[in-house]
Amino acid sequence: MLLGIDVGGTFTDAVVVAAGKVIVQVKTPTTHGQLLAGILTALDKAMIGIDSGEIERVALSTTIVTNTLVEGKTDPVGLCLLPGPGMDLSGMIPAKSYRLAGSIDHRGREVVEPDRLAVHDACRDFTDCDVFAVSGKFSVRNPKQELQVARWIRETADPNYISLGSAVSGTLNFWRRTNSAYYNAAVWRQFGVFAADIETALAQRDVTAPVYVLKADGGTMPLAAAKEQPVEAIFTGPAASVLGIMAMHDNHLPAISLDIGGTTTDIALWQEGVPLFAARGANISGYPTAVRAFWLKSVGLGGDSFVRRENGKLKIGPMRRGPAMAMGGDQPTVSDAMIVAGKASFGDETRAYEAMTQVAASDQTPQETARMVMEAAAEIIWQSVEAMLDEQVAAPVYRVEDVVHSNRFLPRWVIGVGGAAGGLAPLVAKKYQVPCVVPEGAMVANAVGAAVARPTIDITLRADTAQGYFTIAELGLRQRLTKQHFGLADAGELASQYLSERAKQAAMSVSEVETLQAEEFNLVRGFSTAGKIITCRRQIKPGVLMNISGFSQKGAVL
Amino acid sequence: MSAKPLGLVFFPAFDWAISPSHPEREERLLYTRDQIVEEGLLDMPGIREYKPSMADYKDIERVHIGVPNLRSLITDAHLVSAGGAITAAESVIRGETARAFALVRPPGHHAMRVVHGTRGFCTVNMEAAMIEHLRQQYGIKKVAIVDTDVHHGDGSQDIFYNDPDTLFISFHQDGRTLYPGTGFTDELGTPNALCSTVNLPLPPGTGDEGLHYILDQLILPMLDDFKPELVINSAGQDNHYTDPLANMAITAQGYARLADKLKADIAVLEGGYSIEDALPYVNVGIILAMAGLDYSKVSEPDITRCPRQSVATTAYIKRLVQERQEMWRNREQLRRQAIARAGDFWQRKRGIYYDDSGISEQQLESVRICPHCHGYVTLATESGDYGINAKSAFAAIIPRNACSHCRQEARDRVLRAKKQGRFDYYFIQDKPADHLEEL
Ligand SMILES: [Zn+2]
Ligand SMILES: [Zn+2]
Ligand SMILES: [Zn+2]
Repeated sequence: MLLGIDVGGTFTDAVVVAAGKVIVQVKTPTTHGQLLAGILTALDKAMIGIDSGEIERVALSTTIVTNTLVEGKTDPVGLCLLPGPGMDLSGMIPAKSYRLAGSIDHRGREVVEPDRLAVHDACRDFTDCDVFAVSGKFSVRNPKQELQVARWIRETADPNYISLGSAVSGTLNFWRRTNSAYYNAAVWRQFGVFAADIETALAQRDVTAPVYVLKADGGTMPLAAAKEQPVEAIFTGPAASVLGIMAMHDNHLPAISLDIGGTTTDIALWQEGVPLFAARGANISGYPTAVRAFWLKSVGLGGDSFVRRENGKLKIGPMRRGPAMAMGGDQPTVSDAMIVAGKASFGDETRAYEAMTQVAASDQTPQETARMVMEAAAEIIWQSVEAMLDEQVAAPVYRVEDVVHSNRFLPRWVIGVGGAAGGLAPLVAKKYQVPCVVPEGAMVANAVGAAVARPTIDITLRADTAQGYFTIAELGLRQRLTKQHFGLADAGELASQYLSERAKQAAMSVSEVETLQAEEFNLVRGFSTAGKIITCRRQIKPGVLMNISGFSQKGAVL
Repeated sequence: MSAKPLGLVFFPAFDWAISPSHPEREERLLYTRDQIVEEGLLDMPGIREYKPSMADYKDIERVHIGVPNLRSLITDAHLVSAGGAITAAESVIRGETARAFALVRPPGHHAMRVVHGTRGFCTVNMEAAMIEHLRQQYGIKKVAIVDTDVHHGDGSQDIFYNDPDTLFISFHQDGRTLYPGTGFTDELGTPNALCSTVNLPLPPGTGDEGLHYILDQLILPMLDDFKPELVINSAGQDNHYTDPLANMAITAQGYARLADKLKADIAVLEGGYSIEDALPYVNVGIILAMAGLDYSKVSEPDITRCPRQSVATTAYIKRLVQERQEMWRNREQLRRQAIARAGDFWQRKRGIYYDDSGISEQQLESVRICPHCHGYVTLATESGDYGINAKSAFAAIIPRNACSHCRQEARDRVLRAKKQGRFDYYFIQDKPADHLEEL
């Protein structure tokens, strides 16, 4: 049995999955300020009648990282940069930094050596810091200097934790890696406390199954790994839903998914059964990071969106003025429209009619008004989908072939999940003249996603055969190439090998491996080929451990 | 930082090369890509990246006459590169960006009006296609091009040689010591457009000091006088001290400060073949400078290798600037004299070599000196690869502001040539009708 818990803004959901069926589903209100207590309440309710020994895995999608940031509980970070020549990052990063000499060039060659005394000075500057972050330009091409500086910091200041830019991401983007490394360090202690509390609480309940934490890219990582890269556990809510959709609806045609909740709708585009990723990484508190995430667009429209007339015109959202009138609120909402239109049945139907009467034009029946509200709501979602499709076709590409053959994304399905999906998703689908599915159990897609999400991990191998080296930044590795005529295929093999090893170390099973990036350039010097520059990035494909084929009735919806 | 961002079209054409070991190969912008992405420039709020569009054949035909035709000479890569320049320019014209940089390849400033093949790595003139597109679509008239490539921008010069509304300024390593061997101070434009072509040949070894002296004392004041609606930078980067194809001594800081002072509305990449040691740093410097961001920390790892400019070079540059200032002051008088001297027609006969295609072209050019318009141009051209595969064409170019008389006469001359039948192909590039006609 797999146990999945998702902490959302409004609800904390828990499910137990066994043999492709959701056998328990629990919905409890999220307890703000007491994250752990809320999780344990959901856990305990889900575990009623279940033998703790039968739980094989616990997976959490939590807001711990976001909460730490929002509540200002981050720790001061001794942020040391090796920026080399180029842009000056000061003023563009979330905290004060110390600029160290030392630089690596674009091919991973050491140009200027770092200075040990300067590192001592930096440590003196950061005496109040228990956590450090070290980030160097082109450290992914050669992590040597970051590792060296970290050693010196350890010798001098002996901090509890040091986050390295090359360890957070193997891809180019010094700015993003720096921000990621900073946030990793800043939330490290809080995350550690949370992880320890979870472990204790589970032990008290005799749950001995391994604990996994969801990442923004829809994969899971073991709790131990999460303690080393806590920033990866940010923004997991939407990823959980997306994974839930994947588990509940196995379809490989291009699709649009709409997760329509209380106040927002999250839109994702799907190709080959998986959602598209954000091109570079997630933004945290306005700073770009290297945290991999699904490409989601959020629009301020959901079941609770406030419906009113302004100067005679129907207006919807983006604000919420409390729950639906049918649920005891005092302002009309999209949910009230859905109830009147017969697309939802909960709460007090007469109050929903009152809501629609309130916003009806003089010659309109409540039913007509409800239909109009839903059409207008669907229109708002559709416009955001269109903007996303525009953005998709306008995404820069760097090969002639890709410009010549660039086509707009053509959806063949619309998949709806979340409370208000049943009413609105079909209307959006109608605009594209494609079928719409709202999978059974769509209300707990997020917790299902957490329960069944596969562990993922990625690795970036870069080989420079002219220099005779290959680098795997995530592992802090730079080694001589031993094979003659090393090519892209060899790089792929080697990457897979290290990927398996890395997965094994983290106690993950390796399932489907996919290539994220494969590049091979001939290095020509003086009219003859001097070598190749090869980049091969591979990952364990995000996905689900099992497809969900149904729901049993057992459950507690509070 | 300016309120509007810098528009950036980055198109390294990772799947296009002239040949595997040619300087114009897949690898050329690889390290530039690495540096730009590593710096995080594409994430900067002050920089907005655009995907290049593909130019239409019409955009190319507005500028070039291909013999036997354009379609047989150009590839999709050329359409994307020209389209990239147009995308960059349109972001500025539409007001989305403050200025724009088309960091694209293949390059284009050696491509002339008539195209028989590829010369100096260029087949299509990206800036010219962009400028004529802007003139056609947005009614832009006066444009200045500042060519900062180490090679003389002979293609751009040729295309605008008879256009007084286009000020073309090129500084470059002296043609006696470098390809294409032109760009001397006496190449000033046709009489109609005299002094709207300004060439500044520089001795090998010219450094930042000399470059900025020319910029401050000559180029910027000329731009002030000319008052163009748009300043275009043909942003070649082969003046760099590490460039393998030339012998100058400009640094990344020198280029960045140039971009900062010039404040070009649109820059389009041209040459630059020190792909590892110069391009990553020069491009980051130019991008930051154009975006109004701090570029002071951009420098090459081996900057100490940069040679110093010699005293003799400094003295030469002073003289050159003085002489050109005088020419610029007297430009109207010089133009009147040239028109008077020319009579009804100005003619020149040239040999043009296509180094990449191994083709030699002979061209007879004739420009009508007309008091009512810019005057039409006729071109009689014949090419062959060492006498084999000879192809010839006769073409007339009707200028944007053609008077009815010039228009008729240009057409008549092509029709007459066709009747005589000495050429293989006959073309009329009719700018007012925005149409290239094959007769
Ligand atoms: Zn030039
Ligand atoms: Zn050049
Ligand atoms: Zn005329």
